[in-house]
Amino acid sequence: MTEQWGFYFDADKCIGCHACTVACRVRNDVDADGAKWRRIIHAENGTFPDYEQVSVSISCMHCEDPPCRTVCPTGAIEKREEDGIVTVNQEKCIGCHYCAWACPYGAPKFDGDNKMQKCHLCLGEGAGDGHGKPAKAKEENGGTKPACVENCVGDAIKAGPMDELMKDVASDAVGKAAGRKGNIIVEASGAEVTFESESD
Amino acid sequence: MSQSKQNDGGVRRRTLLKAGGAAAAVGLTGIGVSAIGEEAEAASEETSNRETVHGNCWICRASCGQEVTVEDGKAIDLTGVDGHPKASAGQGRDGTLCSKGMGQLNKTYNPNRIREPHIREDGELRAASWDEAIEYAATRLKEFREEYGSEKLLRYQGYPLAKHPWHDLVFKKLYGAPIKVGRKTTCHGPFSDSWAWMSGYGREWPDWKNSEYIIAWGRNVMECFRGQWEPKGVLDAKEKNDATLICIDPRYTKTAEAADKWLPIEPRTDGALALAMGHVIIEEGLYDEEFVGNWTHGFQSYKEAVADKTPEWAAEITDIDADVIREIAIGFATSAPQAVAFPWTGIAYQSNGFKNAQNIHALNGLVGNIDTYGGTRQWTSGFGLDDPHEKQGIDVPSNYKDKPTPEYEDYPFQRHVRNLSHNLVPQAVEKGDIKGFVNNWSQPPKSGNTRSWFEALESMELVITVDAFWTGVSKRADVVFPGASQLEQPFLKSGGDSSYSKNGWITGSKAAVEPVGNCKPDYKLYKALAEEMGWGEYFPWDSGAEYYDSQLDAIGLSFDELSEKSYEIVSDVPYKQYEDGGFDTVNGKFNFDLDVKPEYKALADDIGVSTAPEWHPPDDDLFGETTNEEYPLLFTDLFVEQFSRGHCQAISQSREAYAERFGHEDKDYRGNYLHINPKDAAERGIEDGDWIRVTSADDEIELMANLWEGVRPGWVGTENGFGVGSDHPDEEGANSMILNKERHVEPTTGMTARNHPVEVERLGGEPQ
Repeated sequence: MTEQWGFYFDADKCIGCHACTVACRVRNDVDADGAKWRRIIHAENGTFPDYEQVSVSISCMHCEDPPCRTVCPTGAIEKREEDGIVTVNQEKCIGCHYCAWACPYGAPKFDGDNKMQKCHLCLGEGAGDGHGKPAKAKEENGGTKPACVENCVGDAIKAGPMDELMKDVASDAVGKAAGRKGNIIVEASGAEVTFESESD
Repeated sequence: MSQSKQNDGGVRRRTLLKAGGAAAAVGLTGIGVSAIGEEAEAASEETSNRETVHGNCWICRASCGQEVTVEDGKAIDLTGVDGHPKASAGQGRDGTLCSKGMGQLNKTYNPNRIREPHIREDGELRAASWDEAIEYAATRLKEFREEYGSEKLLRYQGYPLAKHPWHDLVFKKLYGAPIKVGRKTTCHGPFSDSWAWMSGYGREWPDWKNSEYIIAWGRNVMECFRGQWEPKGVLDAKEKNDATLICIDPRYTKTAEAADKWLPIEPRTDGALALAMGHVIIEEGLYDEEFVGNWTHGFQSYKEAVADKTPEWAAEITDIDADVIREIAIGFATSAPQAVAFPWTGIAYQSNGFKNAQNIHALNGLVGNIDTYGGTRQWTSGFGLDDPHEKQGIDVPSNYKDKPTPEYEDYPFQRHVRNLSHNLVPQAVEKGDIKGFVNNWSQPPKSGNTRSWFEALESMELVITVDAFWTGVSKRADVVFPGASQLEQPFLKSGGDSSYSKNGWITGSKAAVEPVGNCKPDYKLYKALAEEMGWGEYFPWDSGAEYYDSQLDAIGLSFDELSEKSYEIVSDVPYKQYEDGGFDTVNGKFNFDLDVKPEYKALADDIGVSTAPEWHPPDDDLFGETTNEEYPLLFTDLFVEQFSRGHCQAISQSREAYAERFGHEDKDYRGNYLHINPKDAAERGIEDGDWIRVTSADDEIELMANLWEGVRPGWVGTENGFGVGSDHPDEEGANSMILNKERHVEPTTGMTARNHPVEVERLGGEPQ
């Protein structure tokens, strides 16, 4: 792979405001009651008064070896050589939801047309967009920031080639990232976070 | 359950499948790009009909600079302006918008927007042309004035875009309506009046980013901010100054999440906590002797007031450990003047909120952090704009002056509150002192005494409103003017509070898009009405933009230039402005003791309170009703990030984000939730998501339960602005203000008091 793009997320800077989830829908023209490509999980721990929350913004992790692609019977899901972004060719999607069952993060979503849609790192704008688009470029090279990154109030979300994102983060977060399937680095203290998928 | 599936506002463009707006932005700002990648090339091919323009968000009236992507005349995307004083953390920092600000497209292109003028005919509202509606409104206004007098027309101004002057120009100065209900009696009176009388500035705002010790006191700054600069400033303070953040709130907010310490205080006991902190600071000799000695009045009576208010005394009342009280008092005082104790609605909603706010501000005075680096800030723009009328030699009359206004003496605050308080308007209507009402985007039936307000609106002779949605007001109006949304109007605003701690700024923007339907920008609407009333000479400008252009001469800018820049830093404003001429109070000092304020002295004597800081518990009489066996839970209404003052319930993206915020997005219900501790819920057989009834001594509401360990047992609350009368398309949820009645006012300022003893019962598993 030429380059692997991914997300960086710092829970200590996330204020749990949902600006990222709304920005994602605005950029990608997803109705409010439509598919949720990006979600915020308000993970909680404890009972009053020893109670705490941590806000985690998640979307597709653009996994190294995406389980959604493995199970897709029609080969609609692609792990792109040029930037590592996982895209879906909606023309090939038959709406079987295997991908949603396989994904540990609950990223693949379906709406009225029953075609899989999810985060494509704003390779394009809209469901099914991104497939077949040119390689993701950094902003200084004329590329676009994903909407969630561009509008993150606390600078909690970043996106870029993983090797570059790794440079700026604490070593324990890198260790944790290496143990994950997805291309995301999470820096967080506090409550344990669980991700829900259709198989849960 | 009538959750309707809606199109989100017609920003349909899936067939076009364009790439991002950054390429267009690059083109516009002229930044040279040497190595344009394929993504950019592809984008530029597809986005040639796109442009990036500026706007100013008015969803919460903070004026955050917007970068708006417009394609074929339609706004399709937006984010904040980099470096903007409100939308960013400061120079060179990224601009963003909050979740509700990001809902703006859904506001502008909302399928439920009122798109035509409406007038009432034979009891029914019907669509009308502008000419017809303007003529009808002018005729009715003239008849009203002849029959009842202009003093009987209430101005309930609301939030005209950028607080433009044209609503008041027409209705106050020209028509001569003297009475206005403002936000002081619905939002901030106990806090802003006590602080104004103490330090001469009603709503000091922290210099967040430079602070080292922040006490967010009934103030959910990470969610209910007024502009992006606030949470960004707190994050900066934490990261750069290693600032300590203390959150005092009975519910676990996102401020609690960011805080070093969450203190879920027994509601309404904040004043006791503040006095005990004062006790510790004086006992430890940690107060600012120089400031107290040179710049304050009443220190002796404050000292006496806190002499026996030990942390142990306060611990009993507040349910906060004495050791913790000592710790935060010492932490606050030793960080001063880079420290701030800052309240907001959590305190202002209390019937004993005036004293509680006074006790809190006494702490800021004690440690000398008034208008300091990292302390509170007496923000000011530091410059003025031109008066366009004066420049044209137009003498604007003040026809509201010398008009008779009613005088009531039912409540203590009426000694000094000249205008009517929000909760008292229905009474004034009943007595015949108010017979009509003009309004711009406000929704009084969600602000207090709701049922009486509905009756009052129905019995008024004339109701005129400018609004975008069908609400409890517009449905009852005689004339409804379809206002333009923020993206459809020019904007100009100057001020001080922002991420630029020592500067005054101005921000402005031309209309980004044309108004939808038959909507009209405010200037044109008021100009048309003024012309019909015979006051055309006072509106000589063709547009609001021209008026703004004239104002901007004062600082050598044109409106076009400003719109292209989005904002301009105009002036330098030093810290400690009081050093040049004293505080803007009756005696030029910071007043611990308000005995120097005659109006308050008289009122305090009336109701038997000290003029100095003092602890006043709720007492079932003036200072708040207490829970009892029949109504054992204390209810209040709340703010949350996803809505601004109950004005965003029309926006489906905001409703959705709110449902996600509390983990109920999988249900169809998009109303508000009653947050209740699982212990209280279990005692009543209530499970998460159940449909419940909240009953007070006066009334009842029904809504969905949200079981949450993050709220204090014995305390329940819900977000304001839902239910009957709201701009929610289905009026889903509960209007929390149904429980509020005329008598629920804070005695010193007349503000709607919002703590009610209630009982909660389960009705079933689904909305009913």
